[in-house]
Amino acid sequence: MATSTGFTRDSENSFVATFGQTECDILINLAEQLIEILAERVDDVDSDPLAAMVGITGHDSPPDDEVLLRLLPNAYADPVESAEFRRYTESVLREKKRAHAMAIRSYLLNTNESKVTLNQSSAQAWLGAMNDIRLALGVRLRVDENSHDQLELLAPDDPMRGVYAVYSWLGWLQESLLLALMDDTKSR
Amino acid sequence: MVRTAEKIEDLIDPIFLIDRPWVTIVWDDPVNLMTYVTYVLMTLFGYSKERATELMLKVHNEGKAVVSAGRREEMERDVQRLHEYGLWATLQRDDQ
Repeated sequence: MATSTGFTRDSENSFVATFGQTECDILINLAEQLIEILAERVDDVDSDPLAAMVGITGHDSPPDDEVLLRLLPNAYADPVESAEFRRYTESVLREKKRAHAMAIRSYLLNTNESKVTLNQSSAQAWLGAMNDIRLALGVRLRVDENSHDQLELLAPDDPMRGVYAVYSWLGWLQESLLLALMDDTKSR
Repeated sequence: MVRTAEKIEDLIDPIFLIDRPWVTIVWDDPVNLMTYVTYVLMTLFGYSKERATELMLKVHNEGKAVVSAGRREEMERDVQRLHEYGLWATLQRDDQ
């Protein structure tokens, strides 16, 4: 991963980074996995089409899958209120997250350049998707139970070692984009 | 679809001018970067960097922080937007 650079701010509305082919492939793959996970939570096809049109889904119970539950969390502590809220909002939330992941996927699949240039709007989508991917990886790595020291010391043959490497790299990449977005020196 | 309790609230709240009875809470999370939480609070709520950093540190140190207060519908919208960004947020009555 030595060939890549994190994001820097080029001008008011331009954020650039350079990726090697490996990083591109990893990002595309992770974005696709996120899209797939979200797609597992399909709406009830038999639901009222009018209800579907205004974003009401058949889902009012939280997802069983831990990753999906973290991506689509409960809005209330009370399960009844939470279910009511979920029924009216979850499909919209899922669609936003899917669109963010699609932004990364489409951009990288449609470029031959190693230089990635984002504007304010696409940077928001990348930021959201990178965070969702990290949330998903974080659930798999059980970062709530395992300290970073423990994760750093995973055995070389532990499959989670690679996951942790990607997780750390994405954190670094996300941080670079955040610092670029908050870098006011080039915003005027 | 609308429970009686909600209807009564809707009627009573404006009468008694309970104008800020709901709050949005952001909970600590081991994945979200501190910079990210600060940035999201600045972007979604228009908070200054200082204010957003203060709230982020409260989340980090105390496990949670109230990030906005207002009418229930407004808080539901705030929670939805925070969920879009992947922050772990819930809403509840202020007196809880």
